[in-house]
Amino acid sequence: MSWAAHDLEPYAIQRHTRWKLAFIPLLFGSYSPDMMTKWFVYGIHLGPWDLKATNPAQFHRGWPGFGFTHSLVYGAVIGLFFWKVCGSQVWGISFMIGQWAHALTDTGDTVGTMLLFPWTYHFHFGAWAYAGQTGRMTDAAAYFSGLGGMWDLVWIVFGLFSWRVLTRSYFERYVYTADGSWSFMNRAIPTAALLVLYRAAFFYGTSRWIAWTLWAHVVHHYPYDLSWGGPHWVHAAHP
Amino acid sequence: MRQDGAVPLDLELAPAEADEDARFRLPRGHEWVVLLGYVAAAALYVVIGVTVTDFLLSVFVAIAYLLIVAWLVPLAVRRLL
Repeated sequence: MSWAAHDLEPYAIQRHTRWKLAFIPLLFGSYSPDMMTKWFVYGIHLGPWDLKATNPAQFHRGWPGFGFTHSLVYGAVIGLFFWKVCGSQVWGISFMIGQWAHALTDTGDTVGTMLLFPWTYHFHFGAWAYAGQTGRMTDAAAYFSGLGGMWDLVWIVFGLFSWRVLTRSYFERYVYTADGSWSFMNRAIPTAALLVLYRAAFFYGTSRWIAWTLWAHVVHHYPYDLSWGGPHWVHAAHP
Repeated sequence: MRQDGAVPLDLELAPAEADEDARFRLPRGHEWVVLLGYVAAAALYVVIGVTVTDFLLSVFVAIAYLLIVAWLVPLAVRRLL
């Protein structure tokens, strides 16, 4: 799985696509595959109950399970819903592109994604270890010690070189005008606050990458292992 | 659906200036002030997050934090001055 890439990719997609895309559904699409599942992958405590998937990788990426949320057809179906039922083509296409970016990015780990679901083959490059089954903290330590963390860094650097998409003038000229939702929200929320909301995912992705890296390597001294499929000090799940 | 069976995609093309306006250059003037403000906000977020990792787990917490430090606080300061 990826941590910060899903926060940052929508800015890069918006920067380089030739179409006018809507940022909100693009980001929503990028987050959507994990929205319903991550809590159950890591587990939560609810009073006396511990809720956690018996097989987190299977639940998250597999079938039977919620692995279909990481398939291309899932993005297409929800995108089609936005287009045909909600009546917004730009929302439909933007959502689909964001969700596809997530599904493709997650092929980088050892479990991969069922891109062509209902075909249940897991497309995976195996570049970094999938360690969601070990719990959130070990997963964080592993992710930020391997190539997954480096992949996120690529997006951060790319984002920093595209920093002008975060400026007020770019937001007002291209992002705001591409999607009527901004002007709808603008009736109640000032533009300055909308600009902060627009920048929030970039801020979140970049800041938490730094924070988790410091936590893993300065506070806890987990060893880096940038070899393919690493870090090998953690048990990696496979499909 | 058109008669030839193709799905009509009428997404607008992004304006040509969008690419030019996003091209890299160093910040200028007031842009530095904004950038440094966000860097300071990020530094504080990182310090809190490393200390209390639960703070890092939710994008909604990050949004609330950023609205406070990058919008409400500057707004309040400007009103007070």
